Amino acid sequence: MTQQESIKLGAQDLTTWGKVKLAIARRTEGRGVALLAIILVIAALTEPLVFTAYQITLGRVALVGLVALGLTVVILMGQLDLSVASTLAASGVILALIPDLTLGIIAALSFGLLVGVVNAFGVAIIGINSFIWTLGMLFFLRGLALVLSDEAPVKLTNADAGIAFGQPLIGPLTPRVLLFILVFILIQLFVSRVKAGREFYAVGGNPQAAKDAGIPVKLRIFTGFMISGFVSALAGVVNTLERTAADPIAGSTVLLASFAAAIIGGNYLKGGRGSIVGTLIGAAALGVLQVALTISGVQVPVQQIFIGLVLLLAVTTDPNNLRAVISSIRSARSSRVKIQEPAPESKNQPQVDG
Amino acid sequence: MTNKDPITQINAMAQTTEEPPKEKKGLGIEWFAENGIFIFTALLIVFAAIFVNGFASLQNITDVFHRAAPIGIVAVGMTFVVISGNYLDLSVVAQVATAAVIMIAVSNEYGYIPAILAAMLAAAVYGIINGVAVGYFKANAVIVTLSTTYIGLGMLRFFSGGSIFFGPPDGALAQFGAGKLGPIPYSAIVLVIMTIILAFVLNRTNFGFTVRSFGVNEKATRLGGTNTGMVIIGAFLVTAFSAMIAGFVLAAFSNTAVSAMSTGYDFEALAAIIVGGTSVFGGKGSVARTLLGVVFVSVLANVLVLLNIGFGFQQMALGLLIALAVTVDALARRAGKK
Repeated sequence: MTQQESIKLGAQDLTTWGKVKLAIARRTEGRGVALLAIILVIAALTEPLVFTAYQITLGRVALVGLVALGLTVVILMGQLDLSVASTLAASGVILALIPDLTLGIIAALSFGLLVGVVNAFGVAIIGINSFIWTLGMLFFLRGLALVLSDEAPVKLTNADAGIAFGQPLIGPLTPRVLLFILVFILIQLFVSRVKAGREFYAVGGNPQAAKDAGIPVKLRIFTGFMISGFVSALAGVVNTLERTAADPIAGSTVLLASFAAAIIGGNYLKGGRGSIVGTLIGAAALGVLQVALTISGVQVPVQQIFIGLVLLLAVTTDPNNLRAVISSIRSARSSRVKIQEPAPESKNQPQVDG
Repeated sequence: MTNKDPITQINAMAQTTEEPPKEKKGLGIEWFAENGIFIFTALLIVFAAIFVNGFASLQNITDVFHRAAPIGIVAVGMTFVVISGNYLDLSVVAQVATAAVIMIAVSNEYGYIPAILAAMLAAAVYGIINGVAVGYFKANAVIVTLSTTYIGLGMLRFFSGGSIFFGPPDGALAQFGAGKLGPIPYSAIVLVIMTIILAFVLNRTNFGFTVRSFGVNEKATRLGGTNTGMVIIGAFLVTAFSAMIAGFVLAAFSNTAVSAMSTGYDFEALAAIIVGGTSVFGGKGSVARTLLGVVFVSVLANVLVLLNIGFGFQQMALGLLIALAVTVDALARRAGKK
């Protein structure tokens, strides 16, 4: 009991070890770090090529991570944006269809913002669950990409610019990796240093309380979905430029991998907990995993199985859920020992949760 | 970020949650959400019969039934998951394909009984994994079933090598798939039988009652002494076995099976369920309404094909349909709360 009280009082009278333990307990990235460590060790032992060919690995991490970063902002608010992969595909097609490169990039990025507005409108104004609304958007945008592209990959008119885009810019870093780092820094600063960004956590933790505390919840939801839409469109632009062609059905594996990265990085799906750093760690883990599997010659279906397993593991071992399950079992057991007649509620708990 | 006293904040919260009840209107959005689908289905069929060339032919009606049957069987099963308040089961895509491939591949080697047993085992594995993750680990159903879709399809592609399996042209399965009662194929009769059985389970049994009450209020159901984890597993098992039967029907109709044969079933089944009037918020809806939604979605898809509209536009139309249906549902819910 005393330890719990001291935690409440802000950990003033804790030992150094206790403070370290508390700091670790407050972080959400634990599982991401563990997965990254395991994958790095296995990759180092079996496929050292992953590290010598670090340019490829970084490119893959950036591909998975860029979409996951935008997604994280939405997840922090307890929402989900399933339409990210289709936004990526559709904005890529839009870029390829417009002959002028600058105009194309502007159009593709504005399209991403527009998708964000439509998503947020359904969630914040009409009041539909974001899982269902963005699932509708996923299929609508996939259809749109197919219609715009006439159901075939579209070649980029200005292929030279695309080839130039794939070349390393600073040292070994390609523009894709640099953009990824830039977006990471911007979003990290936004959610940790800017008032509007910090309010995302409040909106995710308890929307009603956030509203009562004077936070414009609906505006924040609009901001979040627009960031997510913009970042996915940016990923689409980067993809199209690097490949010098737009694939209308691009991004189906990106969808799975980016979700896995965000969730294994410790972002709680019900909102309010998580961090951008966690997503970065998750993206690094999944990027290395994908590259290691590809280099060892594992078939694509087996890679899908691996990433699917990581996602399933990530979502079932969410510490917030597990903690509730464990604590309910514990409280049921302790009440049985201390109090002679167990309370009716705790009597039900073990049966319910495991 | 105001520095309010916590007690005033709690009071403010308490005040906002207590809203005075208002009187309901007679023919508002709620009535529309309840009964609009009847009008729209009737209008669509009349429109198609008059204006769309080739819709009202006997051959086309059989085609509509053939297309509607597997999607419909998936949809009536998935209604259980939606009513229990767990959004949907995306992994039906993998489940249908798995059942179809197992049915043809195993029956070619060992006969029908081992094939059915193997497919049932696969369906049970899907249902239990989804159900345990959602029911006991309290994981999000959309993410769980998204991952099991990829795991399932990945395993299917790996073991089948991505090849297409053909059944014997004069086998019992092929004969069943081609069999018709008048213009109605056997598969449509299977759909009707499934609807009747599942409607009975949902409305008349203890299990069906707990599924519905779980969708209305999860906590109350749990505190009422129900083993909610088992109920969720049950709902996912119903979906899995329905998807298995849909896979059999699909395999019988085409007499071939490949891992990519059921792409888009998740979405069309969800469209049928929501359009039929089952709420994605859980608790409200019925299996019979889903059947009506299946009719609507299948006729719409058929009309789009007959009008020579491309696949991309069909996807967009389905996306819009879902958006419209959930909007009406959400608005009706809000009107009902006031």
